[in-house]
Amino acid sequence: MLMTASTKTAPIVLSVRGLTKSYGNDVHALRGIDTDVQEGEFLVILGPSGAGKSTLMRCLNRLVEPTEGKIFHRDQEVTGKRRDLRALRRQFGMVFQQFNLVKRLSVLTNVLTGRLAYRSTWRSLFYNFSQEDKRIAIECLARVNLDHKAFQRADTLSGGEQQRVAIARALAQQPSIILADEPVASLDPKIARQVLTYLKQVSRELGITVLCNLHQVEYTREFAERIIGMSRGKVVFEGTAADLDDEVLHRIYYRDPDEEEDQGR
Amino acid sequence: MNSVTFESAVDAALQREVEVRRRRHLKLAGWALLAAAALWYSAAQIKLSPAALVSGIPFMWDFITRLFPPDLSYLAVLGDATIETVQIAIWGTLLAILMSIPLSFLGARNTTPHIVVFHLTRLLLNALRAINELVFALIFVSAVGLGPFAGVLAVALHATGMLAKFCAEEIEGVDKGQVEAQIATGASRMQVILFGVTPQIIPQFIGYAIYRLDVSIRSATVLGLVGAGGLGFSLIQTMKLFKYHQTATCILVIFLLVLVSDWICGRLRRKVI
Amino acid sequence: MAIDYQSRAQSVLDELAQRQTWRFRHIVYIALAAAFLVWCADGVDLRPAEVTRAIPIIADYFGRMAPPKWGFVETIWQPAVETLYVALWGNVLATFVGLPLGLLAASTVTRSGVLRNGAMAVLNVLRSISELIWAILFVAAVGLGPFPGALALGMNYGGILGRLYAEAIENVDKGPIEAMEATGASRLQVILFAVFPQALPQFVTYNLYWFEVGVRSATVLGMVGAGGIGFELITAIRLFEWREVGLILLFILGMVTIIDFASTFIRSRLY
Repeated sequence: MLMTASTKTAPIVLSVRGLTKSYGNDVHALRGIDTDVQEGEFLVILGPSGAGKSTLMRCLNRLVEPTEGKIFHRDQEVTGKRRDLRALRRQFGMVFQQFNLVKRLSVLTNVLTGRLAYRSTWRSLFYNFSQEDKRIAIECLARVNLDHKAFQRADTLSGGEQQRVAIARALAQQPSIILADEPVASLDPKIARQVLTYLKQVSRELGITVLCNLHQVEYTREFAERIIGMSRGKVVFEGTAADLDDEVLHRIYYRDPDEEEDQGR
Repeated sequence: MNSVTFESAVDAALQREVEVRRRRHLKLAGWALLAAAALWYSAAQIKLSPAALVSGIPFMWDFITRLFPPDLSYLAVLGDATIETVQIAIWGTLLAILMSIPLSFLGARNTTPHIVVFHLTRLLLNALRAINELVFALIFVSAVGLGPFAGVLAVALHATGMLAKFCAEEIEGVDKGQVEAQIATGASRMQVILFGVTPQIIPQFIGYAIYRLDVSIRSATVLGLVGAGGLGFSLIQTMKLFKYHQTATCILVIFLLVLVSDWICGRLRRKVI
Repeated sequence: MAIDYQSRAQSVLDELAQRQTWRFRHIVYIALAAAFLVWCADGVDLRPAEVTRAIPIIADYFGRMAPPKWGFVETIWQPAVETLYVALWGNVLATFVGLPLGLLAASTVTRSGVLRNGAMAVLNVLRSISELIWAILFVAAVGLGPFPGALALGMNYGGILGRLYAEAIENVDKGPIEAMEATGASRLQVILFAVFPQALPQFVTYNLYWFEVGVRSATVLGMVGAGGIGFELITAIRLFEWREVGLILLFILGMVTIIDFASTFIRSRLY
């Protein structure tokens, strides 16, 4: 109860209005998404694979260009001019299913790439970073408890450790939002819980909002402060873990949202 | 009822199989016939025949006997030419590496600034690849005079084409996830290339550059035939003077040089990859 | 909490600083490498002044090649086609030379170590001597013309292909071989039914690739009198007919490009 009360008063950090994404005329990945994200919450986007979760996330930092609709980050329009894109992307840290660390670089250099958007291209030409950047990167590594592996090559780490490095890289951007796209889909359950725990704990400490795509209901129940359920490119549920009953799960995983609309009429 | 339909289905499948096989055999026979005809025709065109080969054997034998024994005293003279051959190959490859770094990024679909630049770069690379070192060497000898300098330029141009095309294809094949992660941090295009693309291709690039050095040494041994320095020059000179024992020494040295470079480059490559 | 992170960061930072300091031996390595390269450059007359002098001259020579002398097509059409024939037969001969030697050199096929090493030694000799040197030898032996050119390509590429064949045979999946041996098949049967079918696509790929390379090589065999377009090229250069040179270079480029496409097409159909 207390939690819902606090989230209600929190300001809105991200709002999405009428977002659609189509590929050609036939494939509609997103079909009119409207939602608001509150400052500091841990929001899980739940849905089966192919529901459009990943596309939604990539539209938020414009790795994918939305077809229609608007996205606002605080007062700034994300879907505005491309010129401001670099500064905007800085605000969105991203964590991927496949970790996407640059395998041949050291752990520390990987985290330092989170600082790239703050520095000019010429300064980074010879892989040199400022002392301040290094300090930030190592602190982020310490937050996920991997500072002792800073000088190892990224591909020598286990999957769970690589994902923690990826979280550190996202933190190094000093973002206001972290987008985690199926962060634990390639990890076994014990490690997955550990990674999600780090993600939640660190974002709490630093007051970062987290949007996390998941397809496993159990992790969602365990970690989510608020849940958005997606099915076939539409939002079919918004609520907390307590509201996540069998009927809702059936709606997310089995029912075609179009059919439902037809019945509604 | 069920078994009847099952059997007839098997029969139909067997029949289809026979038909498919016959059609495939016919097709194969057709291609084989076509290939044989092409080979037959081209053999006639270049006057290639087993008879010519057999009648040539005595001449070949005569020639080989004249090569033996190699004149080992000539080895001392070949020292400088051998060093020069290696030097040509090293600088040719080094210049090629320097030139192919920008060209390979311009010639890869995912890093090129513009599609027109991509096509122009690929055209240039194809031209450099298509034209043999020896052709370049001939032109450069005319332009800048006899000597190893023309050889270096020739090796460099041809190796640039090879190296840059290989590297461009590696760039196009990089793991897209690692690149996407860099874009998502808000890195600029150049930073994405530096931190997302380059680390992925470096081992393959170095490995291929070492292979190219090996090939360049092999090429540099014959550049002298057109006056562009190295061992080939001694080879052709001794032949023109009918000093066949010395020619044999040249061939021996070339053989050993290539063998050694092959061995060293092979070891280096295994170390890198 | 935050203080804790900062002190932990400091120790890693210190280690980083230590790792990044330049050691004396690094400087020595770089100096040695630079000295070696300078020595090499000096040996091949590669000096900044020389390069700056050469670039405009070379650009000028390439400039003289435009526009190509189109009337010359009639003269070089025949040698250009001959080049393709030489490359084609070079490839066929290389297969004849390389296949038996490759089989002898592969440990999956040949048990005898002496035979294997002998075959490998022959392949190395064939491979190490450039096709141009082979061409010179064959021209001296059987006279001028495309025939010695095809023989030369057959020898050099026979050595290269033979080694590649041997590697392909050795790298086939051992499972089917074991299965075949378990059924009591003879050695020849094993080679025919378990080794060959697996290695064959690899063989074809190698042959196609080395045919492409062979076409490029065949364009210069004419320089030593072994047939093809190289003879016209060297003549045109000796006579300073740069516009003819331009046309020949265009021809070579066209031929190689067409063959590139054709072989990519065949390879895509192969798998």
